[in-house]
Amino acid sequence: MPTSHSLRSARRALALLLMLSLVPLGDAAGPDPLDLPGLRGKVVYVDFWASWCAPCRQSFPWMDGLARDLGPRGLVVIAVNVDHQRADADRFLSEFTPSFRVSFDPGGNLAQRFHVSALPMSFLIDREGHQVMEHAGFRAREEPDLQQRITAALAQR
Amino acid sequence: MHTRNLPVLRLLAAALTLALAGCGALGVKPWQRDLMAREDMRLDANAIDASLDEHMYFSKEASAGGRTFAGGGCGCN
Amino acid sequence: MQLKRPARDLRRWLVAASCGLLSASVARAQDGGDASPPADDGPATVVDTALAYYHESDGRVRAIEPIVSVHRDYGDERAANVKLTFDSLSGATPNGAVPSRKAQTFATPSGKSLNATPQTYTTASGNVVVVSAPIYIVGPGQLPMDPNYHDQRLAVNGSYDLPWDRLTRSTFGADLSYEHDFLSASLNASLARDLNDKNTTISAGVNGEFDLVQPIGGSPVPLSDYTLFEKVGNHSKHDLNLVLGATQVMNRHWLTDLSLSADRFSGYLNDPYKIVSLVDPGGNVTGYLYENRPGTRTRGSVFLENRVATDRTSVSLSLRYMTDSWAIHSQTAQLKLRWWNPDHDRYLEPTARWYRQTAASFFSPWISSTTTTPLSYASADQRLGAFHAIRGGLKYSAKWADDTGPDGSELSVRAEWYRQTSDNTFVLPGALQGLNVFPGLSAVLMSFEWRFNW
Repeated sequence: MPTSHSLRSARRALALLLMLSLVPLGDAAGPDPLDLPGLRGKVVYVDFWASWCAPCRQSFPWMDGLARDLGPRGLVVIAVNVDHQRADADRFLSEFTPSFRVSFDPGGNLAQRFHVSALPMSFLIDREGHQVMEHAGFRAREEPDLQQRITAALAQR
Repeated sequence: MHTRNLPVLRLLAAALTLALAGCGALGVKPWQRDLMAREDMRLDANAIDASLDEHMYFSKEASAGGRTFAGGGCGCN
Repeated sequence: MQLKRPARDLRRWLVAASCGLLSASVARAQDGGDASPPADDGPATVVDTALAYYHESDGRVRAIEPIVSVHRDYGDERAANVKLTFDSLSGATPNGAVPSRKAQTFATPSGKSLNATPQTYTTASGNVVVVSAPIYIVGPGQLPMDPNYHDQRLAVNGSYDLPWDRLTRSTFGADLSYEHDFLSASLNASLARDLNDKNTTISAGVNGEFDLVQPIGGSPVPLSDYTLFEKVGNHSKHDLNLVLGATQVMNRHWLTDLSLSADRFSGYLNDPYKIVSLVDPGGNVTGYLYENRPGTRTRGSVFLENRVATDRTSVSLSLRYMTDSWAIHSQTAQLKLRWWNPDHDRYLEPTARWYRQTAASFFSPWISSTTTTPLSYASADQRLGAFHAIRGGLKYSAKWADDTGPDGSELSVRAEWYRQTSDNTFVLPGALQGLNVFPGLSAVLMSFEWRFNW
């Protein structure tokens, strides 16, 4: 049955193509500016933010607390700024002087790779390098839940 | 009287068609809303000015109101 | 530090003097436990104060309007707003009658006759008091205006924003407005939903208003002879408003907003203080009738706004078309520009607005005294006539750092100039020719606004 065979391989190719399109571009495109592979063994909390975003402003003191309290247990907090103008980000940072790492993504390339759908938006990556959580926005009432997920990821050796 | 309103209606209809044609292709990514987040691009900013103006139009003209204030802005959370 | 203290004290005083109401509700909400405390960075309460001065030329209405508005953010997109407005108006206001070649005598709304003789009373203690008759005389050729117009209005508006989920939110509000002859209460609710990555927002709102009209001296019997002073009790009117909106972020710079609105007014829609002159074919005034308007009015409108922003400027163009069952059609176009300084803490904002309306079907600046057709509705209120209006304004605003943050305070000053020009096309009979029957209106509005974090 050559026809059904070629049909099957066409279907397979299509399925492969579909799966490929679902894989984040980050896996294929260039080195990771966050150096996530280098952070293997750590739990990484990646947060996308902008100076003009009010809930981001709210999240900074909380993230500072996270980095301070859970850093010794293996948590790395990286805040990725997506402002167009570096000066806007710098003005914001001069208000907070965060203790955690800040990375800059003015073109939104990294945000695109992570499929950021809101600001702020955070991603939790476990010690094995797997993304275990994504969270859109920042609301005070969701703080305990976020904290609990991070603690749970830290508990996994 | 009605014919004089036609150009305005036509303009509105054209703008409406333009606005609704392919809304899916429109819009920005969440990190591209820096200008939208600015107060002059938020529809609900300057409520005091709006209320003073509306009060005057309401007292001096036969038309008033007619708009909503939701949308635009930061789009955060 | 010492320099800041007086400002801080003034702020405390302003909030304390005007917003006991909100303070109480804030205290309650904080006791409630479930209300998350405001973030320790960035204050959660914003106070907006404004003082507006409105002045019409030719000795007409002057108004002073102080406003205090308190916006309290409880976090997680929940917020309450309370606004207090006080209005004090005085000056002269047109009573609807046309000018005449002869002097005309009118009674103030509280008057019961057109007799110019002062009234003499003997009080219980035996003193004789002379009270001048509540009348006013308008000279030949002058527009009849009641010179003793005084009014005070106190309005309270409250609203609460309540989110449902990440994409849906609602607002509930109540308004109360009190004048000595008018009481208005309304309730409103609106719902907004974000779609398409929050690039599209659709919303719907409903507002129900109930008004009680308690004219000084009673409400006149519609179309009754002015000199008979036939007045009856109070009346009410109602308004139900529905509004639908769609807002679209077109690209990084461009925002567009479309609204559809419908109103249904019913009840007593007359202005109890407005009269209509009876004029004979020679243009002589022979008497006056109280006005009468239909008891219902349905109104619909389409509103479209486009805003475009660049790094340091923005432009907004809005257009509105409105039409109602009284045959009034109106068009409005407004253009607003804004220029920011490089630090985005100062801006200059010029505004230009153009407005035009056609007359209500029953608008009649006068009624022919020889008419034989029975009259059902008539009003000479210039606001129901045909006119166009232009408005131009300029606003300047500056923000500066204070003890609450880098943009802690904002001061704005605004000046607006407004001019109405009649487009009525009535042929003036005989003696009315050459008189300024449709004088139009010009006014200025100045406002100062101070916004600060609390």
